[in-house]
Amino acid sequence: MRELQIVLIATAVVCGVCTVLTVLLLLAERFIANYGRCTIDINQGARRLEVRGGSPLLGTLMEEGVFIPSACGGKGSCGECKVKVLAGGGPIAPTEAPLLSDQQRTANLRISCQVKVRNDMAIEVPPELFSVREYQAVVERIVDLTHDIKELRLKLIEPGEIEFTAGQYIQLKAPPYAHNEAVYRAYSVASPPDEKDHLELIIRLVPGGICTTWVFEHLTEGHTVSLNGPYGKFRLSDSDREMVWIAGGSGMAPFWSMVRFMKAHNIARKCTYFFGAVRKRDLFLVDELRQLERELDWFTFVPALSGPAAEDNWSGETGLITEVVDRHIADGSNMEGYLCGSGGMIDAAVKVLLKKGIAEDCIFYDKFT
Amino acid sequence: MILMLADTLAKEAAGQNLLAIFFAAAITDNILLTRFLGMCSFLSISSQMRASIGLGLAVIFVTACTGAINAALYWFVLIPLERYGVPASSLQLILFIVVIAAFVQLLEMVIERVSLGLYFALGVFLPLITVNCAILGANLFLINKNLTVFEGFVYSAGAGAGWAVAIILMAGIRIRLKTARIPAALEGPGITLIICGIMALAFIGLSGLIK
Amino acid sequence: MPPDTVSTPGGALARQFWAENPIFRQVLGICSALAVTNLMFNTLLMCGGLIWATSMSAVTVSLMRRLIPQRVRMITEVLIIAVYVIMVDIAMRVFFPEIHRVIAAYVGLIVTNCIVMGRLEAYASKNTPFNAFCDGLGSGLGYSLILMAVATVREVLGFGTIMGYPLPARELWWHQWTLMVMPPGAFFVLAGGVWIARWFAMRREAAAAQSPPAPQAAPPQQGGAE
Repeated sequence: MRELQIVLIATAVVCGVCTVLTVLLLLAERFIANYGRCTIDINQGARRLEVRGGSPLLGTLMEEGVFIPSACGGKGSCGECKVKVLAGGGPIAPTEAPLLSDQQRTANLRISCQVKVRNDMAIEVPPELFSVREYQAVVERIVDLTHDIKELRLKLIEPGEIEFTAGQYIQLKAPPYAHNEAVYRAYSVASPPDEKDHLELIIRLVPGGICTTWVFEHLTEGHTVSLNGPYGKFRLSDSDREMVWIAGGSGMAPFWSMVRFMKAHNIARKCTYFFGAVRKRDLFLVDELRQLERELDWFTFVPALSGPAAEDNWSGETGLITEVVDRHIADGSNMEGYLCGSGGMIDAAVKVLLKKGIAEDCIFYDKFT
Repeated sequence: MILMLADTLAKEAAGQNLLAIFFAAAITDNILLTRFLGMCSFLSISSQMRASIGLGLAVIFVTACTGAINAALYWFVLIPLERYGVPASSLQLILFIVVIAAFVQLLEMVIERVSLGLYFALGVFLPLITVNCAILGANLFLINKNLTVFEGFVYSAGAGAGWAVAIILMAGIRIRLKTARIPAALEGPGITLIICGIMALAFIGLSGLIK
Repeated sequence: MPPDTVSTPGGALARQFWAENPIFRQVLGICSALAVTNLMFNTLLMCGGLIWATSMSAVTVSLMRRLIPQRVRMITEVLIIAVYVIMVDIAMRVFFPEIHRVIAAYVGLIVTNCIVMGRLEAYASKNTPFNAFCDGLGSGLGYSLILMAVATVREVLGFGTIMGYPLPARELWWHQWTLMVMPPGAFFVLAGGVWIARWFAMRREAAAAQSPPAPQAAPPQQGGAE
C-alpha cells in the first residue's frame, strides 16, 4: 500500500508540475506569441498565401507547398535557403548575419529559416522553385516494360497540371507500409512536358528498396499517390551542338521525354542515343524508338547488349555501352554528352567522352543514387 | 511549511555570506572551468565575441531565475512530500529539466514580443540554452549544497556570471589567436581546451580570497 | 563525414566507437563526465551509467519514434533519458554509496550530455531499435574509451595509483603531479589527446590526397531513380 501511495504521489507531482507549465506555455502562445493571420505575397502577386504568423518563413512556405532548398533543415547553418524579402522581413537577425555578404544584403536576400513571419510580407523566389509543388495523382496504368522495370502512368488530380522541362525529375512518396516509414524517391519524368496533366515514370525494381518494392508489390491501378516537383537541372542546353545520349535501364526516362519533346517542337538537333542493356529481355521501347529513328532524320538510336544470350538472335551492337560509344564516335570536340544511369556507368562513360574530346562543361548527367 | 518559510527568511535576514556564495560560484568554483559544464556551446560559440556576450547574459538570467524556481520547488514541494516516502532526489531531476525547458521557451516568447532588439541580442540564443548542462548543473549543485531559495538564487546567478565571464574571456583570447601560429592539429578545440586549462589555473589561484 | 544512414548494426556500432568518435571528432559531450576523471574507478562507474543511458534511451526512442509528435520531440527524448539516468542514480546509491555522494550531481547531468541527445536526434529517431541500440552502445563505448584514457593518465600522474592500487615501488621513483588532480589537468590531458588524434587524422588525409582521384566531370546533377 505504501509503495502504491509513493508512486501515486510522485506521479501526481510530476504531472501537476507539467500541467502547470503546459498551461502557462499554452497561455503564452495564445496571448504573447500570437501574430494573427499574415499574408505573404510571392513574386508580386503571382501567389498570395494566408498563413498563421509566428513561425519561420522557410517552414511556413513549405507548409504551403513552396519548397525552398535547404541543406541543414532550418538550423541556420548552411545558408542555402536564401529568399529575397521585399517587405516585412524586419531587421536582419544576428543568426543570419554571418551567412549574408554585403551584396546579398543590398539585394534584400535573407536566410528564410531565421526570418519569422510576424506581419504581412512580400517575397520573391526563383520561378522554378515556385513551381515546385505537392501533387496528388491517380495511377492510370502500370505496364511491365521488362521483367524488372515498370512504367507508371499517373493522371494529376490536384493540382491538375504540372509545368516542367524534359529531363527534370519528381519525388514520388511511398506511404508507410509494413515496417517502413514514408519515403520520397526521385524519378525522372519520361513523358514529354507538353502533356501537362499526365506524368509517366520508369521504375526499376531495386531489391530491398522501400519505394520500388512498394511500387512493384502494393501499388495498383486506381491508387492515389502523392508527389512533389519538378526538380533538377538536367535538361537540353540552349546550343545547337550535336548530342550524344547514353543511358542504361531506367535511365531511359529523361531521354524518352526529350526525344518526344524535340519531335513535337521540330527541334532538329543531331543526336545519337546509345542505350545499354545486358540481354534482349532487358530492352524496352525499342520498337517505338526505331520508329522515331525512321521518321526523324536527325535522330539515331543505338541499342547495345553487353551479354546477349544465344536465343536472343541479336544482330545489333554488343559490348559494354562505353565500348560501343567508343567505336561510334570519332571526334567529339563539338558535341555535348547527356548521361543517365548508375554511378559506375556514368563515371566510365564520362571518361570515354572526355577522351573523345568533349569538353568537361559540355557533359551533363543525372546519376542514380 | 510556514515554519520553514520563516526559518528561511530569518536565515536570509542574517545575510549569510551571500557575497561569498556569489564569488565562490563565479570564480573559484567556476562551473565551466572547474566542473566542465556547458562545454559544448562554449567551444562552438566562443569563436564569436558578440554571440558570446549574448549567450553569456542569457545564461546568467536563465540560471538565476531557474535556480530560484527550482530551489523553491525543492524546498516547498519535494521536501514536504518526503514525509510520505517520495524520493526527492529522483524526482528533482525530471522536474528541474521540465522547468528549465518551459522557462526558456516562455522567456523566448516574451522577449520576442517585448523588444525585437533585445530578442536579436539575447533571445536567439535561448534555444541553445535548454540543453546547456551549466544551468541544470547549477540547479543540482545548489540542492547538494543545501542552499535556501534566496541563497540558491545568488549561487546560480554567480554560477551563470562565472560561465559568462569565462566565455567572454575566451572569445577575447580567440580573437587574438587568429593571428597566432598554432600547430595545425591543435587548431580549434585543441587550443581552446589548453587555454581553458590555463584559465582554470588562474581562477583557482584566486581561492585564497574567500574562506 | 559518412552519412548517418549506415543501416547495419555492426556498422553503426563501429562508426560511433571509432571512425566518428564523438569526443575526438567534434569534442562534444565532455561536460558531464570530465569532472570525475581524476579517479579511474569513478570514471568507470560514470561511463557505465552513460553507456546504459545512451543505448537504452536509443532503443526506447527508436521504438516510440512514430508515436512522438514533432513539436514535443526534444522534451520527450530528454524525459526518456532522465528515466534511465534516474535508474543509474538509484543503482549507484545502493551499491556505491560513498562514490555516489561525490558524483551524484554529475550522474544527473548525463541527461544534458550532448552525445546522448545528439545520437537520439540524429540516429535513433529514424532507425530500427536494434540498430539504434548498437549506435548508442558504440557512442557510449567510444566515449568511455577516451574518458578512461584521460582518467588513467590523471590517476597515474596525480595519485600514483591504478584503479586505487598503488603503482609498483612508487616510493622510489614516483612524484605527485598535483596539477593532474586539479580540474585544469583534465583540460590539458584532453587537449593532448585531441592533438594526437587530429595529427594522425591529418597525416592520413595528406597521404590519401597524394593519389589523385579520377577526373570529375560536369556540374553534379541530382536525381534519378533509387
